[in-house]
Amino acid sequence: MKKSLLVLLILTLFLSGCWDRRELNELGITMAMGIDKSENQYVISAQVVVPSEVSMKTNSQGRSAVTLFQASGESVYEALRKMTKNSPRKIYPGHLLILVISEDLAKEGIAESLDLLSRDWELRPDFYVVVAKNTTASEVLNVNTPIESIPATKMYKSLKVSERNWAGTKGIILDELIKDLLTDGKEAVLTGIEIIGDKEIGSSKQNVETITSSTEIKYDHLAVFKGDRLVGWLNEEESRGYAEITNSVKSTVTAIPCPKKGKISVNILHYNAKVTGAINKGTPEVNIKIQAEGDLGEVQCPIDLTKPKTIDELEKIYEKEVEEVIHRTIDTVRSQYASDIFGFGEAISRSNPKEWDKMKEHWDEEFPEVTVNTQIDMKIRRIGTVNNSFLEKIKD
Amino acid sequence: MIENIKINPYQFLVLVIFFTIGTGILIVPSVLAAEVKHDAWIAAIIGTGIGLLIIWLFTTIALWFPHLTYIQLNEKIFGKWIGKAVSVLFVSMAALYTSSLLYYSATFISTNMLPTTPIVALNILMMGIVVMAVRLGLETIARSAEIFIVVFFVLFLILGVCISPQIKLENLQPVFVEGTKTLVQSSIYFVTSSSVNAIVLLMIFPALMNKMKQARKSFLIGNLIGGIMIIILSFLSVSILGAEDTAREIYPGYELAKRINIGDFVQRIEGLMGFLWFIALYFKTVLYFYATVLGIAQILHLKDYRPLTLPLGIIAVIVSLVIYPNVVYQKEIQQSTEIYFSLFVGLFLPLLLVIVYAFRKNKLKKSPEPESP
Repeated sequence: MKKSLLVLLILTLFLSGCWDRRELNELGITMAMGIDKSENQYVISAQVVVPSEVSMKTNSQGRSAVTLFQASGESVYEALRKMTKNSPRKIYPGHLLILVISEDLAKEGIAESLDLLSRDWELRPDFYVVVAKNTTASEVLNVNTPIESIPATKMYKSLKVSERNWAGTKGIILDELIKDLLTDGKEAVLTGIEIIGDKEIGSSKQNVETITSSTEIKYDHLAVFKGDRLVGWLNEEESRGYAEITNSVKSTVTAIPCPKKGKISVNILHYNAKVTGAINKGTPEVNIKIQAEGDLGEVQCPIDLTKPKTIDELEKIYEKEVEEVIHRTIDTVRSQYASDIFGFGEAISRSNPKEWDKMKEHWDEEFPEVTVNTQIDMKIRRIGTVNNSFLEKIKD
Repeated sequence: MIENIKINPYQFLVLVIFFTIGTGILIVPSVLAAEVKHDAWIAAIIGTGIGLLIIWLFTTIALWFPHLTYIQLNEKIFGKWIGKAVSVLFVSMAALYTSSLLYYSATFISTNMLPTTPIVALNILMMGIVVMAVRLGLETIARSAEIFIVVFFVLFLILGVCISPQIKLENLQPVFVEGTKTLVQSSIYFVTSSSVNAIVLLMIFPALMNKMKQARKSFLIGNLIGGIMIIILSFLSVSILGAEDTAREIYPGYELAKRINIGDFVQRIEGLMGFLWFIALYFKTVLYFYATVLGIAQILHLKDYRPLTLPLGIIAVIVSLVIYPNVVYQKEIQQSTEIYFSLFVGLFLPLLLVIVYAFRKNKLKKSPEPESP
């Protein structure tokens, strides 16, 4: 009896608690983080959620739902820890949704600043990484957003939604970014994020009190990297061309010209692109095979939609349009940035690993010379709820 | 003491599965991917094949004298003193790996979950239940393994199913870039940790004395099932994380679990998946420790091994604290020195045993059944 009591007493020692216990009210949950660099120091901004403002139970006191802490240091980790100097709680990055990197830092190279994020045990590498275009990361995190009171959530969702429905943006999570940086024969891209409007008003509550926010944050352009340095931007059309080549289109709307004049919009519902490499008589070659399926969404020209021939014709036009966009995109990237963001080298390494080993070293010179063949097959399946457009009658 | 212990072939099968998976489930994909990149899963298949051959060797040895543990076999075949010397080497291996696994599980927890908790606290907790299990005896260990294997397979299935939508077959290409020689070489680490070290299971083999044929089958099938699970895991790691990433991660299996995300709803369940590793690591530690104490007891011809458990357990904790100065050293040692040590004890010595047996066969067969040790 005494013995078992003793054992029980000893066991209670183990129950007294755990070294790594942290209560929720001791954590500053950050959902968005920004990295800037000024004078060899990393400036880290963390957008920390203010719990009392987002909780369902307690009434909001009218304060901002998030607050921004900043600290600078020699390394990202040091800066993050130094943040406890101005934050009452230790920053907990486990729920990070989005990481913003400033354009200046991206031009210098991003690799060094990413190591912490993949090494730290609290972080899951499934957050998006974006580049702040023409501005700093801290300014992007300093804008109040309508609908979503936490700007981090707005940035996360809007990237996710636009990637799925528009295809001109690309949500790249840390893992993919690191993979792109490492893979031979594929360079990285990141979506750009911009501030439109007055930055001063953006950070105040005033920004969300009016119907039209005077300042908003918006995704646009794709940042092209070479190695880990940003070398330039793709515009909207090129961004979509990029998505079309790399099979990141999930659904999108494309306006194509009618046979005579006007425009027709096609809603793409299924999309599949495959890039395969080949060696043809010693020179590398890339074949892009695209299969797309969609509906007609909007008709702005008098055209006879009751004839199967018209549909065939429209399919041809779409194929031609996409092919042009793809080639224009490839040309721009080749002539201006010479960075293989499409993964052509990787495609060749997959099909011809031995030849690729020889080619790998001077791929930068080969890449602009690679022959690109495209084969596009588009099918229009449905035309919506009406047959011929009423436009036909009006115009007569 | 050992004569009274009986476990059935199914229980043995379960123990073999746990032993084979053991540490491999955590790091083998990373080690393989570091050397053969995309072909890690092929190396795992080759490793499993080689492993089965080795297990076949072990069972052949064990079947000569089904009632004897490996320690007793050594003494019988090599003679008293050489046999004891060989057995000491064997026991030292089992003892070393007990501590090594303790270090291992503590490092895993400390890296991924509880960074400021002292390692010693984690090790004492782990060793506490290991000592408890060994004191309660093999039958208890086997029965608890029987229960836990269900949990283990359910978790493994959840992991496999939940992560499979993220498989990208492009990550596996190009296939068969590395030559056969590199593939075999890289699989050595996997073979030693899951099959060569399985020699410690010969310590519990006599508990199956009545059903020797089935026991041999259990041993082989258990090793095969464990091997297949590691092949699946290597395949998943490479096809989801990619070869580069798999090689860079210290615990690729855990990284996979982190990545589970079904409709933004079923996610962040890696803590739950951590059970997988703990269960496997725990049983492997228990089996090493059991082999250590029983081995020492039999070398010294003690009547009971139980009095040894607590002191040896304390020693194991202490050793686990000083065995490796840091994780980098641990990785380095595990992939060089420990492989040779394992191969020496687990492959060279048994082969020597076979050769000696071939010479002394007739003399040994004639001698009467040995008196109970």
